[in-house]
Amino acid sequence: MSSNPHVLVIDDEPQILRALRTILTAKHFRVSVASRGEEGLALAAAESPDVIILDLSMPDMDGVEVCSRLREWTQVPIVVLSVRDSERDKVMALDAGADDYLTKPFGIEELLARIRVALRHSTQTMGSKKAVVTAGSLIIDLVQHIVTRDEVEVKLTATEFKLLAYLAANAGRVLTHRAILAAVWDPADVDRVEYLRVYIRQLRKKLENDPEHPRFILNEPGIGYRFIVEE
Amino acid sequence: MDPESVRLYPRQVVVVAAHYLLSLVLVALTTGILYVLRSSINPAVVALLYLLPVGLITSLWGLGPGILAALAAFLAFNYFFIEPYYTLFVHQPQDILALFVFLGIAVLINQLLGRTRRSLEQATSREQEAIRLYELSTMLAGLNNEQAIVQILAARSLEAFQADRIIVFLEARPGKEAIQVNYPEKDGLPDYKADLLVPMQTARGLLGEIRLWRKARPFAPTEDRLLRTFASQGALAIERAQLAQAETRARVLEESDRLKSSLLSSVSHELRTPLATIKAGVSSLRTGEMDWDSGSRSELLSAIEEETDHLNQLVSNLLNMSRIEAGALKPERNWNVLAEIVLGVVNRISKRSSSHEIRTEVSEDLPLVPVDYIQMEQVFTNLISNSIKYSPDNTPIQILAWPSQSQEILVQVKNQGPPVPESDLERIFEKFHRITAADRITGAGLGLSICKGIIEAHGGRIWAENLPDGFAFNFSLPLIWEGASPRIELHE
Repeated sequence: MSSNPHVLVIDDEPQILRALRTILTAKHFRVSVASRGEEGLALAAAESPDVIILDLSMPDMDGVEVCSRLREWTQVPIVVLSVRDSERDKVMALDAGADDYLTKPFGIEELLARIRVALRHSTQTMGSKKAVVTAGSLIIDLVQHIVTRDEVEVKLTATEFKLLAYLAANAGRVLTHRAILAAVWDPADVDRVEYLRVYIRQLRKKLENDPEHPRFILNEPGIGYRFIVEE
Repeated sequence: MDPESVRLYPRQVVVVAAHYLLSLVLVALTTGILYVLRSSINPAVVALLYLLPVGLITSLWGLGPGILAALAAFLAFNYFFIEPYYTLFVHQPQDILALFVFLGIAVLINQLLGRTRRSLEQATSREQEAIRLYELSTMLAGLNNEQAIVQILAARSLEAFQADRIIVFLEARPGKEAIQVNYPEKDGLPDYKADLLVPMQTARGLLGEIRLWRKARPFAPTEDRLLRTFASQGALAIERAQLAQAETRARVLEESDRLKSSLLSSVSHELRTPLATIKAGVSSLRTGEMDWDSGSRSELLSAIEEETDHLNQLVSNLLNMSRIEAGALKPERNWNVLAEIVLGVVNRISKRSSSHEIRTEVSEDLPLVPVDYIQMEQVFTNLISNSIKYSPDNTPIQILAWPSQSQEILVQVKNQGPPVPESDLERIFEKFHRITAADRITGAGLGLSICKGIIEAHGGRIWAENLPDGFAFNFSLPLIWEGASPRIELHE
């Protein structure tokens, strides 16, 4: 079935490749695997996969480098895999163009969710951008700059709206602190995470039913934030 | 001498000239006194008395004035006291003898005095050398830092030799860079050769060298010898420091070996427990012999998943422990909302275990804290896991946080566990320390020591205390980072 999405997995661990190939095939994906960075780059060019799953720690080539080499010519969604405690690598990969990340060890539901988001996002970038983002009882009109919660308009300051609009426009994707700061504030402010902390806190107070257990704006510890639309 | 030319003479010449002049004055004075007494004293006694000023002058001012005094005394003796009076005619050869006696006495006294003076000088300078050496060795004693030794050696030598400039150079060794100390610390090194250079040598080879520059006067052989003694003192101190360092390294290695083996024995037990569960679960599910109903099937599967998470946490604790051990635990700090970190951890733990109710009383409106998000998650995970392990089921665990007056935030994780003996309150933060028997409570005994490592790397403190109604972990975190609080206006 050629309409099934095609996933390319690049990882040097044969056990991971074996497991992912089995599971993803069972979930009706077409799967290619590469155990080295160079091989992965070649396969990506030859087979034009719909999603690439890339391990960050490979012996021959740094995963971050694979990311930037891929981004020289393709916008294919990239989900990076990495162990905990290497947040810096993940942030570097995301800033180098990766779309999402997963921390090893991960559950398979998580992986499938990430692949779904990545696929949806890639079809979205091909088509036109959404003007209205709906998340539960929240409706965010990106064009008219109106946010309603349970059909009541929520008053947001200009910066708050800019921040929410950026998060919502990239719903489902992880956004690094630096990326958000550069987009919403200024490229000179990429290290001022404290702005972000304060504004996210304010947004949660205005948008979330229980700001202590947020449903829409989630933390990605050490990395950034993710805006969630689905229940 | 006109006054103008006197001023041109160096001071020393004036002093010497004064000595000669005074010698003549002294002889004249003696002559005057003896002349008054001439009628009552025998000329032989007069000659004897003239020896007094000659001896005195020689001993005070040296040979030159002494000889002048001897000549003057002979002339005066001849002129005033030997008949015929008032002529310089010597009519008896024995009178000439007086001249030779005067001269001989002057020379002899000068010789004697000179010898005494020289041996005094030698004694003084030996004493000085001994004092300097003693001072040097006292200052070098107990120093285990090569840089400090070289600095002291350079400073003391510069002072002792009154040199213009000194360089002490220590050659590079495997694992150590070369050290060069250069006094006085002016820019640039002299481009001409050192006036005195001695090597620093020990039985094991050449360590380096000392170079001295001095314009005022050349170095005497005694100074060369003294500098060599200095150099060998320095070399000995450096060798001693190197030996001490090697010994410390050996001790640290031994200690870390011991730690590693106790870590291995503790950890292998810890790793095998979840692995046993996983292996048993998976192999039971694989055998076709048993027909699992869906309830037991999902029971087995969730046990496997829980044990996998447990293994994962164990591995990250081990990793952090080895980082703390290696001094490589560097927090990647950022301004964070403490409540977010706490709630994230609490949500995750509550999903896994429902034996305790975890109450968080951490306000979202606390000041931002400059911490490493991931490492603080680890701290809370470990403290809460510890509280769950040691407090009875169905009792609450409370997490509180409040700002203190001294730019710190104080955090407390409180449980209703049994009290810990006062003597163990500090020791529970040590590696592998466990109060209860190892078999009853699982864990590698690493959790709390990791908390301590992380909190201290953040510049905070951690301590435990018994409360009237339970037990609490407390820690503090500084609110100032790189000398500042976050610059931000909270509301638009």
